[in-house]
Amino acid sequence: MSNAKERKHAKKMRNQPTNVTLSSGFVADRGVKHHNGGGKAFQAPRLGTAPPRQTKTTHYAPPEPDVSEQLSSRVMFKKKGGWRAGPEGTSQEIPKYITASTFAQARAAEISAMLKAVTQKSSNSLVFQTLPRHMRRRAMSHNVKRLPRRLQEMAQKEAEKAVHQKKEHSKNKCHKARRCHVNRMLEFNRRQKKNIWLETHIWHAKRFHVVRQWGYCLGERPTVKSHRACYRAMTNRCLLQDLSYYCCLELKGKEEEILKALSPMCSIDTGLTFAAVHCLSGKRQGSLTLYRAHRYPHGVLGPVTFIWRPERTPGDTSASRQLWIWLHPTLKQDILEEVKAACQCTEPVTPTPCVPDPLPTPSHGQSQPALPDEKIGKKRKRKDDGEDAKPVKKFFGDGTRDPHQPRSWISAATGIVISDLTMEMNRFRLIGPLSHSILTEALKAASVHMEGEDTEKTPHLWWIETCKNPDAVSLHRRQEAIFELLGGVTSPAEIPAGTVLGLTVGDPRINLPQKRSTALPNPEKCQDNEEVRQLLLEGVPVECAHSFIWSHAVCESVTENKISDQDLNQKRSELLVPGSQLVLGPHESKIPILLIQQPGRVAGDDRRGWGSGWDVLLPKGWGMAFWIPFIYRGARAGGLKEARVHSQYKRSPYVPGDFPDCSAGVLFAEEQANDLLEKYKRRPPAKRPNYVKLGTLAPFCCPWEQLTRDWESRVQAREGSPGAFPPRGEGSDLRGDEVPCVPTPEKPRQAPDEADTPLQDARGPEGERDTECPAQAGAAGLPGQDATGSLLCVLRSRAALKQLSAWCGPSCGGRRAAQRAPGRGQRDLTPEACLPLLDRFPRALVWVSLSLLGKGSPEPRTMICVPAEEDFLQLGRDRLYCGPQEPKHSDPFKSKIRKQKEKKKVEKRQNHGPAGSEGLPVGGPAVGLPALTLGLWSGPLPDVTSHCSRALLGFVTQGDFSMAVGCGEALGFVSLTGLLDTLCRQPAAQRGLVLLRPPASPQYRFARIAIEL
Amino acid sequence: MVRFKHRYLLCEVVSDDPRCRLSLDDRALCGLVRDTIARVHGTFGAAACSIGFAVRYLNAYTGVVLLRCRKDFYQLVWSALPFITHLENKGHRYPCFLNTLHVGGTIRTCQKFLIQYNRRQLLILLQNCTDEGEREAIQKSVTKSCLLDRESGEEELSDGGDEVAEAME
Repeated sequence: MSNAKERKHAKKMRNQPTNVTLSSGFVADRGVKHHNGGGKAFQAPRLGTAPPRQTKTTHYAPPEPDVSEQLSSRVMFKKKGGWRAGPEGTSQEIPKYITASTFAQARAAEISAMLKAVTQKSSNSLVFQTLPRHMRRRAMSHNVKRLPRRLQEMAQKEAEKAVHQKKEHSKNKCHKARRCHVNRMLEFNRRQKKNIWLETHIWHAKRFHVVRQWGYCLGERPTVKSHRACYRAMTNRCLLQDLSYYCCLELKGKEEEILKALSPMCSIDTGLTFAAVHCLSGKRQGSLTLYRAHRYPHGVLGPVTFIWRPERTPGDTSASRQLWIWLHPTLKQDILEEVKAACQCTEPVTPTPCVPDPLPTPSHGQSQPALPDEKIGKKRKRKDDGEDAKPVKKFFGDGTRDPHQPRSWISAATGIVISDLTMEMNRFRLIGPLSHSILTEALKAASVHMEGEDTEKTPHLWWIETCKNPDAVSLHRRQEAIFELLGGVTSPAEIPAGTVLGLTVGDPRINLPQKRSTALPNPEKCQDNEEVRQLLLEGVPVECAHSFIWSHAVCESVTENKISDQDLNQKRSELLVPGSQLVLGPHESKIPILLIQQPGRVAGDDRRGWGSGWDVLLPKGWGMAFWIPFIYRGARAGGLKEARVHSQYKRSPYVPGDFPDCSAGVLFAEEQANDLLEKYKRRPPAKRPNYVKLGTLAPFCCPWEQLTRDWESRVQAREGSPGAFPPRGEGSDLRGDEVPCVPTPEKPRQAPDEADTPLQDARGPEGERDTECPAQAGAAGLPGQDATGSLLCVLRSRAALKQLSAWCGPSCGGRRAAQRAPGRGQRDLTPEACLPLLDRFPRALVWVSLSLLGKGSPEPRTMICVPAEEDFLQLGRDRLYCGPQEPKHSDPFKSKIRKQKEKKKVEKRQNHGPAGSEGLPVGGPAVGLPALTLGLWSGPLPDVTSHCSRALLGFVTQGDFSMAVGCGEALGFVSLTGLLDTLCRQPAAQRGLVLLRPPASPQYRFARIAIEL
Repeated sequence: MVRFKHRYLLCEVVSDDPRCRLSLDDRALCGLVRDTIARVHGTFGAAACSIGFAVRYLNAYTGVVLLRCRKDFYQLVWSALPFITHLENKGHRYPCFLNTLHVGGTIRTCQKFLIQYNRRQLLILLQNCTDEGEREAIQKSVTKSCLLDRESGEEELSDGGDEVAEAME
């Protein structure tokens, strides 16, 4: 800060004369005459001088002596108005009398210096600004001639300077040329080579804050203030999201082969697998968590959803089937590799026959050579433009992909073909109850092609072929009927979860409304008739799930034969009656789409079905054609932030932040920690929370690994004391033999110790890495390491979760809970009952949802802590008791930081002083030390669980004030060991109460923990 | 305009002893004036004047000094200046006094005044001069001070200002 101030001051004083003083060493110099000539004649000016001036004077020093010989007393002029005395003042003894010549010379020098200072403008204002108001004229800054003549020269110079400073146009085309369609397309195609653009990118870029994430340009949040409006849209109306960035993997092959290959990657423990009956028939979309083959419960790859292509011949397992796996882009690399390994698909299929779309390849090929040419010369550019004028097309799909990179792989042994269909389809998500009416209003089923219409000119041959088949026509009619029925259903939540409906629709641009309006459910359709009831009961029949979007050839042709907006508008303008319905007849495109019902909130008791909606799959190239009609029917667009809010209110984990055990989650946590650390460091220490004093060990990332390990050792340490629950045996058989209540002899207790010590030793370096992570987030370890080598896992076994969720609630909380427990065959919560669970998942995390009892809104990385006995007593006495406070911790690093700073200062002084070379080795070791940051814990973390006054159980990953519930809600992970230990200790009436404390606050607040299935 | 308004006192250090000029530097002068104000006006005066007080320009050859202080209390400074009788620096004490030439609102007016003043001084010197050699030297310096006025534009244009300065001599 002071530096900037100095600079500003120096700039201001640039033209001011400097102080002129005689040498101070007069007495010492008196005797030594010769020395003085070379010495500095004049003290470095102290006031009002800029550093460059000083350097100038030192540079100037050498030529001085010989000059000084010529003139006995002489005053030199400095360039910038300052002036300096010759060395005469010191080299000669002070005379007893003043000679007139020296007197006059000194005066003359001063006059000239002052003259210079006066004539030059001192401030950094423009020349015409120095003029008084009444002398100013219009356009003085442009036209030099309007200034008084004495100032014209200076203004001329200034104008030249300004021209230099102005940024030169980097574009070699004029504005008009840049706006021309062809060039714009070229430019857009070039710009989406680094990060993939969705088809709706331009639309989003105008209305959203766009972030570059996961190799895509994605809308983060709308620029308008719309947090609450988006929530209302989700609950009452319709929120539209472009999820086209989701990746799709296609597996083609025999059904049994695919199932055999994929079955080791998923576990029946976590729910339904790929072989679920409903999903296998193609009737429903399934979702599951993928694991590395045979590695369950470790080695999580991530959550996916999948659809089977509806089979034509039921019961035939050897028939060739098609399976689409949809996944988040961060998980794609790992899952693709694993699936490839599982299916033994190693041979890449050469791209030429297999690339499903020939369209982007030519445009890619043509635009690529054209671009480098542009920069070379104008002549060539023009020629290229001429050639390119016609074929330059909008770029659809993945622009970053190397055209020669294989997209599909085949296995010789199993015959499975895996292809990567990323960006080959658009996926739009409509959330909210109005999505039905928006869909039914925006989309109209394609008209069936009649015999006798002229078929020669139309490019949509596939539809004509289809229409010749009466079965296909009747299927289309049935799909249309069901789609019409959807309009009468009030909420998508009423439809069975994951229902798939195929459809072929006409061009949605044709019946675009004139103005943006809100589609409202038609009350006439909402009659509770028999058909609707049947649809709700049975779901969409299997046949109707069929769609032509599964066939690449059809998709290609649909993408290629899309009539452009320009042509469509041209035709519209040629209508006889302006504004009437445009009838294209057989030329109208027929687009195959797939509608997939997205279940909303499936877990928990309250608000079931909240946030349900429909996903629309479209062939590529049609994104904007569908997007605008949806928007025009009253859908509100949301970005990534809205997706996060949606998943939070739905209480479902968000990819990738809520998967701490998969590599994408680890990577995400690291990046986030880095970002937060940067942000934290940018604030001055007094204006940011001192996390050490608050007792927050890891404010920026959650040390899951250490948390689970610490809980394990904590529980083990407690086992030694009598009365605690018995130590864990090595295996289940050992434990089964022993009577649980009997305090066991020493032998089995040693066994786990022995088993654990080498384990922990082996984990040594990794543990170090993990503990480093919060303080020095930059030094965090490899992303893949966690997934491969650690014991950390997230509990996803449904049986175990069911058990836990029953234990979590207060056991005397109501008759319902009491009834449920025996009905489900649950056991009571006893330490013994926990043992099998702990044995199976030694270091597991449990996904929990928390709702605050009173005030407070939790934020991410809030700590979940175990309440102490006295907290319960206080709460029992006072219902409105907020919660305990964390006492202030001492900051052991503060003195260290101060010492380091002092050391640095000393070094700096040394460096400045004698020699720079000597200072360097001294500074070496200090640089090697990690730089401490005030307010952050540095070095390996101590025991995270017992650092604060309340034992730490876990961390919150998503948390906010929930508008759906009306109180603070959070989602997070807790250590399984810790949770069971806590629950065992808590009195039955208050079971499931925990404390939440945000990282930057000492206040604990009560919350109720729940595990939802 | 919103700014702190200052007063600039253009003074001349007059001393019989030429060695006084040697010890004239901004820090010494600053301390001297401050001490005098404290002596004359007490603690209040010292505190009132210490805000924004600075030595903006100092020329040991001519003894010209430019002092800056806030407009509200410049009279305290001004009235204290006659009480300066000695300049003390590095253990040496030289008798001297300060002669206030001009009080201005900006540095610029003070500079303008200084030009006028110096010119007048030179002319007086020239008129009173009797020695022929001296007279020539004074004339030379007078023309030099005017020369710069004319050639300042040229000097600005050429980068090597030092050479120009040498050539002028």
